[in-house]
Amino acid sequence: MFNYTFHWRPALNALPQMLQGALVTLQIAVLSMVIGIAVGVVLSVFSSSRNKLLYGIYATWVEVARNTPALFQIYMAYFGLGQLGIRLDSFLALLVGITFNNAGYLAETFRGGLRAVPQTQTRAARSLGFNAYEAFTLIVLPQMFRAVFHPMTNQMVWAILMTSLGVVVGLNSDLTGVTQDLNVRTFRTFEYFAIAAVLYYLIAKVVTLGARLIAWRLFRY
Amino acid sequence: MKWTPLVATAAFLTMLTVPPAFADKLDDIIASGVLRCAVVLDFPPMGSRDTSNNPIGFDVDTCNDLAKALGVTPEYVETPFPDRIPALVSGRADVGVASTSDTLERAKTIGFSIPYFAFTNVVLTRTDAGIETYDDLKGKKLGSVAGTFEAILLEDDMKTWGSSSTFQGFQAQADVFQALSQGQIDATVVTSTVAFATVNSGNFTNLKVSGDAPYPVDYVSLIGLRQEYGLLNYLNLFVNHQIRSGRYQELYNKWVGEGAAPNLLIPGSYY
Repeated sequence: MFNYTFHWRPALNALPQMLQGALVTLQIAVLSMVIGIAVGVVLSVFSSSRNKLLYGIYATWVEVARNTPALFQIYMAYFGLGQLGIRLDSFLALLVGITFNNAGYLAETFRGGLRAVPQTQTRAARSLGFNAYEAFTLIVLPQMFRAVFHPMTNQMVWAILMTSLGVVVGLNSDLTGVTQDLNVRTFRTFEYFAIAAVLYYLIAKVVTLGARLIAWRLFRY
Repeated sequence: MKWTPLVATAAFLTMLTVPPAFADKLDDIIASGVLRCAVVLDFPPMGSRDTSNNPIGFDVDTCNDLAKALGVTPEYVETPFPDRIPALVSGRADVGVASTSDTLERAKTIGFSIPYFAFTNVVLTRTDAGIETYDDLKGKKLGSVAGTFEAILLEDDMKTWGSSSTFQGFQAQADVFQALSQGQIDATVVTSTVAFATVNSGNFTNLKVSGDAPYPVDYVSLIGLRQEYGLLNYLNLFVNHQIRSGRYQELYNKWVGEGAAPNLLIPGSYY
């Protein structure tokens, strides 16, 4: 049932190339998280807005981002926007697609996190002379980030894994792109994909452990 | 059960290392009465779908002929280009009739028959991109199906140009044409048959062929598992018979166009 002899030596020769790809993967994931968090905070603020337009933006974004496949979102960023004359290259299209997805999920996470910060915190801050902006950024936000830190870590891991969808829009510099390129040149599918899987696992693991360390450093009482 | 993952891993590794009982693929195909061909269906005129979604094309007809010769019924396993070999190795398909270039690198993994078709490559570009010859590709945004014969040669040439041209490798031929038509890339290098079929299809009105790419002839072969000598021998003889019976020429005129089918003899060499 499995007519295949593994050739590990030539496959491992490609490891430097694949590590280079892993770096690009990490780069896209980190960028999409940083931008995604910023947009997510703004959207979560919109969620409690009485302004119909702002609430509409929040609701539409979250509905589309959470209820359509990430693959579709990336495809739309590349071919969809391309149809309208906005030509993003593969790297940017992937970044836009994942960031859109991240922001949608994070907005909902942050909305929950904001609920977890008692109203009395804002009121106490205001009575101590903070203005509304200061009360939100200095008192509410830090507490919210403490509440949502672990879900955020999950989203980061999810973002790393989503970067693998870049191959559908012609990205060949990230880990999956490099792997797929090696695969079609040599047809040693199983070796290269096994190495790629291990690398993805290691990246995700390092990120999770790193996040735990950061949490321990930042959020202890 | 903390040992469960360990046991599962051990079982999986054992499965990988124990040699499978040898059964000749050719016997299996004849016994099962079905020939499963891996075909690529976004690569007209070699493989595509007609208006009622049935697979058609040069490769599909070649698969039909092979099945007829074996006295079995053909079954098509549609695979994108990168998945042809996984489909064979994992046993989803018996042979690949999928315009596979016979590179030495790939021959380390998979078995090739003698060539059953040959391609030459041309430059396909947008009418407004200002590209007239292969040399005009310098400094442009280029793309192709990742890892194909022509993509490898194009990327090699781009390295010697050293200018600001960029390369995007796609997973499917259809995506390359879409990106080219929309302007994400300015040009691609593609086999002449596919280029003319695409321009003539009328789906992309802003594409045109701009001259030949100076590449060697791209011979493509039928593929089977490397160790299945019985099957590979049969495939060689099958290709030989297709040519000597005139069926090769007939299929060429049916799917590709007028004139003589490409010469499959490699000048000055044995096969």
